[in-house]
Amino acid sequence: MTAAALPAARRPTAPLPASGRVALAAVVALWIVAALSPLFSDRAQAIRLDERLLPPSSSHPFGTDDLGRDLLARVIAATPISLVIGLVSAAVSLGIGFAVGATAGFFGGAVDLVLSRLIEVVLCFPVLFLLLALAALLPPSPLTVVLAIGVTAWPGDARYARAEVLRIRQLDYARAAAAAGASTPRILLRHVLPNALSPLIVSAAFGVGWAILAEAALSFLGVGLPSPAVSWGGILAAAPAYIDEAWWLALFPGIALFVTVSAYNLLAEGLRAATTSQGSNP
Amino acid sequence: MVAGDGARRRGGHDAGARAVTRYVLRRLAFAVPTLFGILLVVFLLVHLAPGSPVSGAPDAGRRLTGRAAEEMRRQYGLDRPLTERFGMWISRVSRLDLGESFVDHRPVAVRIREALPYSLLLNGAALALALGIAVPLGVAAGGRPEGAFDRISGAALFALYCMPSFWVALLLQALFAVRLRWLPLLGVASDAAPGGAAGVLDRLAHLALPATCLAYATLAFVARLVRSGIVEASAGPYVLAARARGVSRRRALWAHALPNALLPLVTLLGLLLPALLSGSVIVEKIFAWPGLGRLYFDSILSRDYPVILALSLLSAAATLAATLASDVAAAAADPRVRDGTVP
Repeated sequence: MTAAALPAARRPTAPLPASGRVALAAVVALWIVAALSPLFSDRAQAIRLDERLLPPSSSHPFGTDDLGRDLLARVIAATPISLVIGLVSAAVSLGIGFAVGATAGFFGGAVDLVLSRLIEVVLCFPVLFLLLALAALLPPSPLTVVLAIGVTAWPGDARYARAEVLRIRQLDYARAAAAAGASTPRILLRHVLPNALSPLIVSAAFGVGWAILAEAALSFLGVGLPSPAVSWGGILAAAPAYIDEAWWLALFPGIALFVTVSAYNLLAEGLRAATTSQGSNP
Repeated sequence: MVAGDGARRRGGHDAGARAVTRYVLRRLAFAVPTLFGILLVVFLLVHLAPGSPVSGAPDAGRRLTGRAAEEMRRQYGLDRPLTERFGMWISRVSRLDLGESFVDHRPVAVRIREALPYSLLLNGAALALALGIAVPLGVAAGGRPEGAFDRISGAALFALYCMPSFWVALLLQALFAVRLRWLPLLGVASDAAPGGAAGVLDRLAHLALPATCLAYATLAFVARLVRSGIVEASAGPYVLAARARGVSRRRALWAHALPNALLPLVTLLGLLLPALLSGSVIVEKIFAWPGLGRLYFDSILSRDYPVILALSLLSAAATLAATLASDVAAAAADPRVRDGTVP
């Protein structure tokens, strides 16, 4: 191994593609909406039974719900809950996934064998079966929702982290560090983690999109966040009862959900395109 | 399935069969600890949760007190230590005894058998719909990568992938059942179900919306997989050789590139099962479809532990079996898989 054969410490990074920049702008805009949402909370909670189930109009752009509340204000007021739950759940999932995956990839052998079976076991269950069991059988709270999503979503992150660590630990700089007598935690934290970071960020961005969908599904099924917290999925839960008279109850909260999930997934795809070296995996 | 290795495969048929057998045995050996892990996860999931079936969910409205609760606890062995209950449960499950439902005291197996045909119909229809559209779509998109069709279908599939199924279900209901009145809103058949061909048509009309809702996410996933497989396979020398021999572009794609592009799909077919079952929970609830997803959701709400245990165990075990079968199919089709050259 000559010095010339040593790979660069970091992968070459290309600029974010146009679609990724649009997605990033959309994500930032959504967080700004979330930050401003307290301004709308009064309007979101104002019950007016004389104005129930009004179709979209200039005074109520998204229409009103079954209690006469302004749907646009309710959708805006729900933004921070969906975004924060999505982000925190994805972080929990990434934390568990990286710990398990990196351990399996780094130590290999029996450790890898056992942890890989564990990943396989969790992947065998229908995701929603596990999610429902955890969310409904544990006491209802935001923590339960976050943990339920994190505990079901981690195998994807773990597989990603395992493959990445497996690849990196065989690269020259990791082997050189080991030869120089660096301790295992040091190699993991100083050499493997920084280089596994960019693919993990991509995984995390996909994870946020997934977690937002998962929270919405739980709230839609009525086992998500306890009231009075309302997320987009919770607003949608009222839609089936009025499906034959108020289509707007189904349409608008879903659009918010769809736009948010698309923005995160598009951002993730853009980040992946920017961090994978040119030509290897378009 | 790799084009051009026919002679070699005929020559080494016995060796190939032996290699497949070895591969199957190795995969089976790995499946045993996985199955045990599944049993353990299922058991811990419901037994570590606070709130016993005797106390019930706070809103379930069927709280038992005093002697009745004590009686029920003894009857279902809820007063024994956890490890003993796990042992009892394993030995019962291995005799295919799934216990009886807390809710209506009928055998769990009977309740599952009632829901199974509806699930098979819905999931089968969804799978057929997804694969039937996804494969041609993936071939067409991958045939001319970055072409107009590839870009448009790519964007559409990405959008499908980001849509929550309950939202799509509600929109389809609002459009096709409420506004246009083309299709029924929910259920499996009309109350006054007509007989004969009209009855079949009535059932198909009830199946259309739920099957579409269940299918589209799988469709997006499979189409993207087939597309990237086709792009990769089209660059292979055997496709170039086929084209050089004068094989048409269409035939080169379908007969030479597609079989190789399908290999990664075959290994992932097993994992489509839990994805479909996941989707069933939401779709069956919205469309009032009496399948396994609906049964699972109802059992969760009423804390019907024997049904929860049985359904999660059966679905995970079925997935394990399906992954095993698809791995074996891939190994039989492609020597590189059993040699370990291709994961």
